[in-house]
Amino acid sequence: MLTAFVPRSQARPDAAMLVRIRPPVSPRAFDTPSDAGGCITVRWQLSPDDQPGGKLVEGYGIYRAEEPAGPSAALRVNSFKPIDVVPAGTTEYKDSSTDDAKTYRYRLVALSEFENSEPAETPVAQSSLQLFNLNRLNLLVISIIISGTVIFYIQYLKSGRQTFIRKIAGLEAVDEAIGRATEMGRPILFIPGIQDMNDIQTVAGMIILGRIAKTIAEYDTPIEVPTSRALVMTTAREIVKEAYLAAGRPDAYSDDMIYYLTDEQFGYVAGVNGIMVRKKPAACFYMGAFFAESLILAETGNDIGAIQIAGTAMPAQLPFFIAACDYTLIGEELFAASAYLSGEPKQLGSLKGQDMGKIIAMACILFGVFLATLTSVTGSSAILEVLEWFRSFFSVSA
Amino acid sequence: MDPEKIKVILATDCGSTTTKAILIEKIGNEYRQTYRGEAPTTVEAPFEDVTMGVAGAVQELAELSGRKLIDEQGRIIKPCQNGQGCDIYISTSSAGGGLQMMVAGVVRKMTAQSAERAALGAGAIVMDVLASNDKRLPYEQIQRIRHLRPDMILLSGGIDGGTITHVAEMGELIAAADPKPRLGMGYRLPVIFAGNINARAEIERCLQDKTDLSIVDNLRPVLEEENLNPAREKIHDLFLEHVMAQAPGYKKLINWVDAPIMPTPSAVGSILKTIADQKAIEAIGVDIGGATTDVFSVLKGVFNRTVSANLGMSYSISNVVAEAGLGNIMRWLCFEMDESDLRNRIKNKMIRPTTIPQTLKELILEQAVAREALRLAFRQHKSFATTLAGVQQQRTIGDTFEQISSGAGLVNMLALDLIIGSGGILSHAPRAEQTAMMIIDAFLPEGVTLLAKDSIFMMPHLGVLAQVHTKAATEVFEKDCMVYLGTCICPVGQSKQGRPVCRYTLELPAGNTVEETLNFGEMRLIRLGLGEKAKLAAEPTRNFDLGQGKGRRIEQEIIGGTVGVILDGRGRPLNLADDKKRRIEKLREWMLALSVYDQKALEEKGLVGAKAPAGAR
Repeated sequence: MLTAFVPRSQARPDAAMLVRIRPPVSPRAFDTPSDAGGCITVRWQLSPDDQPGGKLVEGYGIYRAEEPAGPSAALRVNSFKPIDVVPAGTTEYKDSSTDDAKTYRYRLVALSEFENSEPAETPVAQSSLQLFNLNRLNLLVISIIISGTVIFYIQYLKSGRQTFIRKIAGLEAVDEAIGRATEMGRPILFIPGIQDMNDIQTVAGMIILGRIAKTIAEYDTPIEVPTSRALVMTTAREIVKEAYLAAGRPDAYSDDMIYYLTDEQFGYVAGVNGIMVRKKPAACFYMGAFFAESLILAETGNDIGAIQIAGTAMPAQLPFFIAACDYTLIGEELFAASAYLSGEPKQLGSLKGQDMGKIIAMACILFGVFLATLTSVTGSSAILEVLEWFRSFFSVSA
Repeated sequence: MDPEKIKVILATDCGSTTTKAILIEKIGNEYRQTYRGEAPTTVEAPFEDVTMGVAGAVQELAELSGRKLIDEQGRIIKPCQNGQGCDIYISTSSAGGGLQMMVAGVVRKMTAQSAERAALGAGAIVMDVLASNDKRLPYEQIQRIRHLRPDMILLSGGIDGGTITHVAEMGELIAAADPKPRLGMGYRLPVIFAGNINARAEIERCLQDKTDLSIVDNLRPVLEEENLNPAREKIHDLFLEHVMAQAPGYKKLINWVDAPIMPTPSAVGSILKTIADQKAIEAIGVDIGGATTDVFSVLKGVFNRTVSANLGMSYSISNVVAEAGLGNIMRWLCFEMDESDLRNRIKNKMIRPTTIPQTLKELILEQAVAREALRLAFRQHKSFATTLAGVQQQRTIGDTFEQISSGAGLVNMLALDLIIGSGGILSHAPRAEQTAMMIIDAFLPEGVTLLAKDSIFMMPHLGVLAQVHTKAATEVFEKDCMVYLGTCICPVGQSKQGRPVCRYTLELPAGNTVEETLNFGEMRLIRLGLGEKAKLAAEPTRNFDLGQGKGRRIEQEIIGGTVGVILDGRGRPLNLADDKKRRIEKLREWMLALSVYDQKALEEKGLVGAKAPAGAR
C-alpha cells in the first residue's frame, strides 16, 4: 500500500544500479464531461512495466502545475506539485480541485520501490461547466416517456374521449352515504386522521373533505369535523367554507362544524366516540393517517349503524378498516381520490399517465429479471452485454 | 263469486286506439281462451263514451262465439245462463294516455327512486321525478309541476323518524305550484304522501287545503326495506276514483266490471309476477309499441318496470335512430344501404305510423330498428332494476379487493330463465324465427334461456284476471297466451372464429340424438316443436360459461317451440365485425342458419348467394 511519495532524492543509494522503470504512456488531460465544472480528468495508458501480477510498479504519482508556468524548463519542473497517488493498474484520475479560470498541466510518474520513472506530461487542460449532464440522459428519456404519457392522456381526455378508470367502490359510495344521512335526518362525521398537515395522507383527506362538503351543502345535511391538530382545523374550515360557496350555499356554512378536540391520541378518540354515541351520525368518513384508534372508531361507527368509508395508507390499520367499515380506500386509492372525484381531464390524465409509467417500470423490471435469468442459464456473452447495457441505462451516475 | 263456479270470463283492454276483448271458457277441467274481438276505442269525440268501444268489441266476440253477451239495454249479461252471458267481466285501461304521475322524494337514488318504482309498478307513466338533490332550483321545480299537469303526485321522503325538513320543503314546493289535474277541472289533484310518519303533520299543513291529500304507510320505513304495496294500492284506488271517473264513460264501465279496472301496464306486471312467483323463475317481459317501450322484470323476486317513453316503432322511431346512432342501426342490415335512403325510410315511418313494411328490405330495416329500440330500453331497465341504495354493508377481510356497493344491478343474464316479447313488431313478425332473432340480438341472453312471445297481447287481460282467479289466469297464460319460440343456448366468453365453444348432446323426443360441437361465430338451429322437450348435456370449453362456471358441464331439460333450439356461438359480449363486408357475410350466414327470412326471397333480391346454409337442419 502506498501512503506517500518516495522522491527520487530519497531513494536508496543502490537503486541506481537497477533498471529504471518506464513511465505511463500517452497521458492526456481534459475537462471532465457532463459536470458542473471544477474537475479535470487525467487519463493514461499503463506503464509497460505495470503488468498484472508484476511488482515493479507500485503506483502512479500525479503532479499538477498551473499555466502559465515559469520561463524555463527548470522552473516549470519546480512548479509541479504532487496532488495524489493512485495504485498500479489505474488509468484514470479525476482532479476535482481545479479552478475554471485557470489552465493546468499534469505529470505522471510511475512509482517503484527503488526508483521512480521519468515523468510523462500532459498537454494543458482547463475545466469548465457543461449545460447538459449527459450521464443522466437516461433520466431524461424516462422523464420524457412518463411526461409524454401524462400529456397524451390529458389531451386524449380533453378531446372528449373516454378512458377506462377502475371504479373505486369507496368513492362511488360517497353520495350514497350522504344520501343516507339526509334521509335519516342525522349528521355526517368526518375524521381527518390524527396527523398534522405535513402528512400527505392528511392532505389527501382534506381534498376528499372538499368534495364531500360540496355534496353536503347541496343536500343541506349537517357535518361535524372534529380535529386533533390546530392546523388541520384551520385548513378544513377553509376547504369546507369554499365548498359551501361553490355549491351556492355560503349562508349554510358555520365555523362550528369544524372544531379542535385535543392533540392527545386517546383523548381525541374518546372525544370522537362520545360524539358518535350521542349524535349517532348516519355516515362516518375516516380519511387520513390513523394508528391504534382506527378500530376503536370504526367499531363504534359500525355499532351505531352508520355507513362508514375509510381511506388510509397505513398498512397496519387497513385490515381493521376493511373489516369494520362499509368501504375502504386502500393506499394509493386515497391519493387518486381527488382526480377520480373531480373527473377533470387534467387530473384524470395525470392519473392515467402515472399508471402507464408504473406499467412501463414493471415491464422493465420483468425484462431485466428475464435477461439476468437467461444470462445465468445460458452463460451467453451476447445476452450479458445486453443485460449490462440495460442495467447501465437504469443506473444513475453523478 | 266462488272461483270454482266461474266458467265463462269476459275481459277487455281499452287501449288508446283499440279496445280488445277476449273470452275465456272452462273446457273440461281447464280454462282456455276461445275467442277474440276488437273495436275502435271511443274515448275521444264524437263518441266520448268508452263503453261504446267495449260494447263493439264484445259484440264482435259474441258474433264469433255465437254466445249472446250483451242484452238489449246494451249491458253485459251476467251471470252465465243457458249458454248466454259470462260469469265475470274484467277490464284494464290505458286509454287517454293512461295514468300520468309525478313523483317526489328527498334523495333521487333513495326515496325518490322508491316512489318512482311504486308509480311505475302501479302502471303509471312517470313524467318527472323531483328530489332535493336533483340540482334544480325551487322555481324550476314549481314551473315543472305546473307545466306537466299530472294525474296525481306521489310524495315520499325520509325514513320513519328521519328528516322532516326536506320532506316539508318538497311539500311546500307542491303547495306553491298549486297544481291542477290533467282531466276534470272540478276536483283537486290527488297527492299521496308515503313518507316519514313524523312529517305527516307538516305535509297536512302544507297540502291539506290545496290538494286531495291521502296518507299511506312510508314506502321506505327504513332504508334497508321497501314497502311499495300501500302506495301502489292507493294509486289504483285514486286512478279509479279520480282519473277514470273523469274519463268519458268510465263511470259506467266501473259499474260493469267485477274487479277494479287496472292500468294496462300494471296488469301486465301483475301476470308476469304471478307466473314468475309460481314457477320460481326469473323473467323479463317487453312490450314494444309505436311510441313507448315497456320492460318488466321479476328478478330475485323483485318486480320492476320501466317505460322508455321515447323508444317506439312508429311515432318514436326517429328517437330510436337519434339515440342509438345510424351506425348501430346499420350494423344489423345484411345489405348495403345508403345513409340518406335509411333516413328517408325512417322519417316516412314516423310520419305514416300505421304503415307496415311492403318489401323484404323494409322489413329487415324495421327489425334492425326494433333491435336497437329493445336494446336501449333494456339498458335503461338494467340501470333502474337495482338493489336498494343507502344500505349499510357488513364486511369481512375477504372483501378487501371486492367491495360490492349497494344499489347494484339485479339483472344477471346467466340466471335469467324466460324472456317474453310483445308488441306488433315481435308478435306479428312474419316468421317466429325473426322474433327470436330480434330478442336474442337485443337482449343478448346468456346461458340457457327460454324465449316466448305474447300471441295476441293477452297479458293485460290475464293480469287483472289473476287478481280474481289466479288458476284461470295462469292456465290461459300457459296454454294460449304464451307462444314459446324455443330455447336459446348462449355460452358466455370470447374466442377466435371457428374455435370450439361447446360440445353438446341433445336427446330429441323422436329418440334420435344430436351430438355436435358449436364453434365460435356460428349460430345453429335444431327443430324442436311446440310442447316437445329434449335433454341437453353441454360442455363448454374452458373459456366459456353456460351458467355453472367456465368449462363446467350442464345438463337440463329444455323446451321446444315454434322455432326450436337455438345455439348461439357468437360469444358474449357480442362483437360484430368492424369490416362491413365481413359483417354482412356473417349476418347472412346467421340468417340462413336460423331460417330467419325466406331463402328464396333473399336469393331473388340478391341479398344472399344460392349456397345452402351451414347451420340449418
